Amino acid sequence: MSIGQIFVQPPIFGFPQTLHSGILAPLLPIFLMMDFLRQLEESGFATWVRESNSLLAYPSVLFLHTVGMGFVAGISALIDLRILGCASDVPLGDMRKFLPYMWAGFWLNAATGIVLFILDATTKAISPVFYTKMAFIAMAVVVAFLIRNHVFRDPLVDKRPIERYGKILAFASIVCWMGAITAGRLLAYVGPGVVSAGGR
Amino acid sequence: MSLANQAHLHLLLNHFPTIGTIIALGLYLVAILANHEYLKRACLGIFLIIALLSLPVYMSGKAAQEAIEGQPGITGGLIERHQDAALLAFVFMEITGAFAWLGLWQFRRVLRLARWNVLTVFVLSIVTFGLMARAANMGGEIRHPEIQATAATEGATVPDTEWLQTASIASFVNTRAWAWPATETLHFMGLCLLLGVVLIVNLRMLGVMKNVSFSAVHRLLPWGILGFGINLTTGWLFFITVPEQYTQNIALHWKMALVMVAGVNALYLTVFDEPWALGPGDDAPLTAKVIAASAIFLWLGVIYFGRMMPFIGGSF
Repeated sequence: MSIGQIFVQPPIFGFPQTLHSGILAPLLPIFLMMDFLRQLEESGFATWVRESNSLLAYPSVLFLHTVGMGFVAGISALIDLRILGCASDVPLGDMRKFLPYMWAGFWLNAATGIVLFILDATTKAISPVFYTKMAFIAMAVVVAFLIRNHVFRDPLVDKRPIERYGKILAFASIVCWMGAITAGRLLAYVGPGVVSAGGR
Repeated sequence: MSLANQAHLHLLLNHFPTIGTIIALGLYLVAILANHEYLKRACLGIFLIIALLSLPVYMSGKAAQEAIEGQPGITGGLIERHQDAALLAFVFMEITGAFAWLGLWQFRRVLRLARWNVLTVFVLSIVTFGLMARAANMGGEIRHPEIQATAATEGATVPDTEWLQTASIASFVNTRAWAWPATETLHFMGLCLLLGVVLIVNLRMLGVMKNVSFSAVHRLLPWGILGFGINLTTGWLFFITVPEQYTQNIALHWKMALVMVAGVNALYLTVFDEPWALGPGDDAPLTAKVIAASAIFLWLGVIYFGRMMPFIGGSF
């Protein structure tokens, strides 16, 4: 569906057309966005993933999201520990070869994360916990780029001790991924759309 | 696996932590007195495998309880006392296993066992054997009134004076809103740590980062064991808190089976000469590659069945 089509469709929430010119007009983009998210949520694909009893539906998406987490946060954590001084026999210049595996995990989770988002898009979109998780991931990605530029691209990386700045980045990376994992888990327990005992 | 089958499994496997530990302990004593390094290492390996076998022993015990509870002649209090004693023994068994692993790992690096480690494992295994024998004895009393030390008749309550009470741990987790999500979060973090080490070490064997010797990546293994320890502890908290959704959970049974195979697989990386001999730039032999690839798939399988527990097994 094109962006243009979204504008001509009647709002699902049933807001009057006067919205376009009335006092609530500044909020129009928000209503349009929520309408778009509602349409995603009610799409055939989202409904199948959410409601099918097949193990290929929701369970597989969750499984892939977990594996992706292990790849991206796990390899990132090991690289960070190495920068912080653990297993110093392993040259960082060689550990770089694991960055593609880390990013593979990241993209797997970006893809499965989008699927998990559209299953209840309107709920996630108003959840502070969800935005906390996204903020942690955004920070983790920024830190990963900084580590690449300041540690992996340093030609003398294995010839002198890691600078203090590199170690601060490694520590920040661990904190960001732990924050992202914690917020991700709390999505099942805190905020809108949580039914009593949450994920339990 | 049905409750009755698990009760059988419990009766079959429950002898390993007691009989196995005393045999290993005897051999270990001989090895220490004769200062026989090879035998000492073999004993550490046996302790480690018994620690792994103790996982299904504990879990099937809970299923056995569900299978026989309420039958005539079965005293609930005796079962609970056995369960608490078994938990304490189990905790010591796992600590013994962890130190045994650490000894084997260190041996690989310096080619001799550290004296402190040999003694720590010795003391721990004596304590573990004592606690296991006590738990086993209490377990025997459940079905054999002729050996009951206390004159416990049907319905009588047995005073619970254990240090580690299963019921109080469960109620601690159940009555605090943060406890379950916090345990889950730690379980995920442990997963990342463990999978990170599994990927890096095994992908080295498969040819990624081939310029690095195996002895260098061997240093990462303790972080994987730390991740495993975090997940064993948090996983056990889940099991103790709501055992009824796990005892008949087929996904969990598969998961535990894979954990044990993967655990034995990890022993290969820790102690064997073949991976250790890989220097910078060396290509691993085919057997090593097969074992490395299977390790990655085994742990992905563990994650798969863990994730499937609510869908195949019906837990929450």
